[in-house]
Amino acid sequence: MAYSLTLKDHIANPRNAGELADGNAIGEGTNPVCGDRLKLFLRIADGRVTATRFLAYGCPPTIACGSALTELINGKSVDELRTISRKDLVDAVGGLPARKQHAAALAIETLQRAIALSFG
Amino acid sequence: MTNPRRVYLDHSATTPVDSRVVEAMLPYLTEKFGNASSVHLFGQEARAAVDRARRDVAALIGSRANELVFVSGGTEANNLAIQGVSESAASHGRHIITSTIEHPSVRGICDALEKKGWDITRLPVYEDGVVRVGDLENALRPDTVLVTVMLANNEIGTIQPIEEIGRVVKEARASGRRHLRFHTDAVQAAGRIPIDVEKLGVDLLSLSAHKLYAPKGTGALFVRSGTRLTPQNIGGHQERERRAGTESVPAIVAFGTAAKLAAAEMSERSHHDASLRDLFETRIAASIDNIVWNGSRTARLPHLSNISFRFIEGEGLLINLDMHGIAVSTGSACSSGTLEPSPVILALGRNMEVARGSIRFSFGKDNTEEDVERVLGVLSQAVERLRQLSPLNKPLQTAIAD
Repeated sequence: MAYSLTLKDHIANPRNAGELADGNAIGEGTNPVCGDRLKLFLRIADGRVTATRFLAYGCPPTIACGSALTELINGKSVDELRTISRKDLVDAVGGLPARKQHAAALAIETLQRAIALSFG
Repeated sequence: MTNPRRVYLDHSATTPVDSRVVEAMLPYLTEKFGNASSVHLFGQEARAAVDRARRDVAALIGSRANELVFVSGGTEANNLAIQGVSESAASHGRHIITSTIEHPSVRGICDALEKKGWDITRLPVYEDGVVRVGDLENALRPDTVLVTVMLANNEIGTIQPIEEIGRVVKEARASGRRHLRFHTDAVQAAGRIPIDVEKLGVDLLSLSAHKLYAPKGTGALFVRSGTRLTPQNIGGHQERERRAGTESVPAIVAFGTAAKLAAAEMSERSHHDASLRDLFETRIAASIDNIVWNGSRTARLPHLSNISFRFIEGEGLLINLDMHGIAVSTGSACSSGTLEPSPVILALGRNMEVARGSIRFSFGKDNTEEDVERVLGVLSQAVERLRQLSPLNKPLQTAIAD
């Protein structure tokens, strides 16, 4: 399985890893088939993301997508968050093998769940 | 990231070619290029080299030279053994006994035969990763024509009771099941532990060259005299009609040389590999918590260690190590959202999470204590980093403490 250097870098140096004690939008996603898990923490103030953290368990693309997603959403408005696509995330990790596309899907679903839970 | 020194701990996947082996094979790539089937001098020179190599490989397993068939590698050896016996014995029965921890090639061939209507019994292993001879005795039927159980496992290194199974097969044959044959895949074991086909009581035994410091592309199948086998490659007289196709003379010469060196240096290499492996395990046990040893730690190959790191997934760990120039392997893979954790680790009774966190470290003759120290440093940090990221360990660790 060939992974991009960007993806590998997210594995070796995950961005914004951990939990956010004062997060006000939290999403959790699980792939029921393979058991991959992603937990996303956002702090949103005045309609914008001011801090993000993530926890992930699973194959490298799942971890990399969680890490890259936190970079992608930082500073964005809630409306902008709703427009982030799977493709944006796949591009942000330098591409994903065809068999690993589900990792990006899980991350986007987790983000949408976090927004829906807090902002409807 | 800079790599001060690359460390290769994946000798069960393949080994570097020994410089003495390269030296021995080179003339057969240049001036001694003949086809071993040709009558002229060029051909005879190549034939003599193949015959010499056959004797050297035979000596490694205690067989006669004419009982060896050179093939392209372990997978072909397994195909020739299992398909060859099943085709020639089909009129006597269509039942095969194997184990749940065989190499994917053996597993794949048995699955394919099952689809064609054969009955396959897969012997379980227990937490130690070893089959029980009693289970085999219970599984034997009047229509069983083949038992195929590996000599040592490729992921966890556990050594199977082949000699005892050989005795059971021999007794079964003596009491009427005269068409019953016994095959073992010795790809991982060869060159690492002593092998004697007489003592083991096997009729067929698979070998691969590139696991013992020779190049990829060559292997051999031991076929005991009198064992009927339907060839799978036809259209040539090579290998006494059992495997058609021009012999790869340079690779066979390399295999022979590597086998001779492995036989001569086996105890030295085993001792070296085991001492590094044991140092590595002792240090890991002292520095990393929440680990699970996979498979028996006594009945196993000297060079291999398989460990599950709880709460994290093997491939992420592998990439972390790879970025520091350290090569290991993991049996787990996840694709298209479907999980394919190692069937071997699951067969030990481990859950999905433990199976996904398994890593195989396999040492070789050129590894050093310095390698061990370097891997330990990188490994502890990588495990720590991935665990900090994992949503599993927080609740799970609490659950364990409870």
